[in-house]
Amino acid sequence: MSELFDFITVPLSFGFMQRALLVSVLIGAVCAVLSCYLVLKGWSLMGDAISHAVLPGIVLAYVAGLPLSLGAFAAGLSCAGLTGYLKENSRVKEDTVMGIVFSGMFGFGLVLFTKIETDQHLEHILFGNLLGVSVSDLIETAIIAGGTFLIVLLKRRDLLLYCFDPQHARAVGLPVRWIHYGLLVLLALTIVTSLKAVGIILVVAMLVAPGAIAYLLADRFERMLLIAMAAAIGSSVAGTLISFHIDGATGPCIVLTQAALFVLAFLFGRRGVFRTRQGTGADRCCRTAAAE
Amino acid sequence: MGELLVPFGYDYMIKAMWVSALVGGVCAFLSAYLMLKGWSLMGDALAHSIVPGVAAAYILKLPYAAGAFFAGFLASFGMAFVRQNTQLREDATIGIVFTTFFAAGLLLVSIYPTSIDVQTIVLGNILGITDEDAFQVVIISVISLAVLLLKWKDLMVVFFDENHARSVGLRPRLLKIVFFTLLSACTVAALQTVGSCLVIAMVVTPGATAYLLCDRFDRLLMVSVAIGAATSFIGAYISFFLDGATGGVIVSLQTLLFLAAFYLAPKHGVLAARRRIQSAAEVQS
Repeated sequence: MSELFDFITVPLSFGFMQRALLVSVLIGAVCAVLSCYLVLKGWSLMGDAISHAVLPGIVLAYVAGLPLSLGAFAAGLSCAGLTGYLKENSRVKEDTVMGIVFSGMFGFGLVLFTKIETDQHLEHILFGNLLGVSVSDLIETAIIAGGTFLIVLLKRRDLLLYCFDPQHARAVGLPVRWIHYGLLVLLALTIVTSLKAVGIILVVAMLVAPGAIAYLLADRFERMLLIAMAAAIGSSVAGTLISFHIDGATGPCIVLTQAALFVLAFLFGRRGVFRTRQGTGADRCCRTAAAE
Repeated sequence: MGELLVPFGYDYMIKAMWVSALVGGVCAFLSAYLMLKGWSLMGDALAHSIVPGVAAAYILKLPYAAGAFFAGFLASFGMAFVRQNTQLREDATIGIVFTTFFAAGLLLVSIYPTSIDVQTIVLGNILGITDEDAFQVVIISVISLAVLLLKWKDLMVVFFDENHARSVGLRPRLLKIVFFTLLSACTVAALQTVGSCLVIAMVVTPGATAYLLCDRFDRLLMVSVAIGAATSFIGAYISFFLDGATGGVIVSLQTLLFLAAFYLAPKHGVLAARRRIQSAAEVQS
């Protein structure tokens, strides 16, 4: 028992671990809430695209002397905007356009990064640097995460209807366009705040895994939100502590903890592999009918 | 003038330019098929999924391609298994599996630091490629190119109309497996030139650019391969003067070409469409 106690308390005796833990929990929670919508809407590639596209924004903001988050945010949004524009005006498929835009921006960002001297480490932008977050980073994250969180919770029904059935949402008089762009803005904000902690590439995991875990376990959307948040916060805490003890990178540890939870949900969850195999055929029919 | 020829005086530059051009050409060949089907995410996912395999292979001092193939195979199997057993959307399934693999790769490297930098795997480093790795890249590319040259028509029939393909005696399932094997082979090769993050551009952008320029598939293939090979060759050349970021330069060039085609393409470009609308308006008035 005391070993478990030490496992938790020893890392927490360090200030940087306390900050890391707080930031990872905040980011985990806000990403989890958004992930539920992304999983339902099929926007995983959008999260991937926006997160890669922020790189040139960071460098350009540095050159212009603006806050880096602002540049990242603007670049992320312009990626989404540009994708929409190119798709409307050409015969190329949406996912292809998205791939072209974000890889182009990322490649351009890399070129800029090698040409321009910045005080940023490329490694930290790509993979995050959770153990190096400062108090001001923590405050910034808390403000943005808290704001996003509140907006999503207040508008959760409108967002849900939009994700499930945009036509219906339009029919009942919701401002579908605004919701669409609002969701994009929230996504870009969340990605920008998460960059410091988990980096460009692993943000996608934080934006997909909790929603997918919850999708396998929950039958109602409210419960899905709660499960996703619980899974993400639990993984953030466990992943950060584990990374301290095995002396490995923190972001990957959090992501791998989430992946382990996903595997558990996949095997033993309500719609899991074992559950579906146990029941007889008739039983299974009833269950799927009930689920629908 | 002499300055511009400097890169050709170095053996490593000549090697880098030719290897890049070869890989770029093969990837562009595949991109013509990939962008038709809307499988871009798949290319991105495979490129990220092979990272732990590459890292492990370098740690154990094995050929990197072997590790990459193994990891790629495991990831594809994982995606297929999850997809068959849940009602999750396909993109979420792919997203979870590839990020998990990628995270595993990063964790591996952070625990067992290797002679190879993470950035080399993620961003590529063709200018500093060892002869051993270059040899693997060339073998993979040449074999893929040979298979593609033999089977391009069959693949085309399958991708355009599966029922028709079946009726003329082709086996769509088998050909799709062949295609995905080729795709993972090319991501493994492209990893060395542009790195895992930018492989998606190599297997999507040239095809999409050619798609805006041509209407016949055989011509589309040729234009696409030409674009892929030329941008990769020139990109490697330019990166000599930038002192790095070869992948970034290649992909930036490809994106610029796409944007140019998007505006200026004779038939499917934005300007052409505008002209058509104008002349239609004139005829009406």
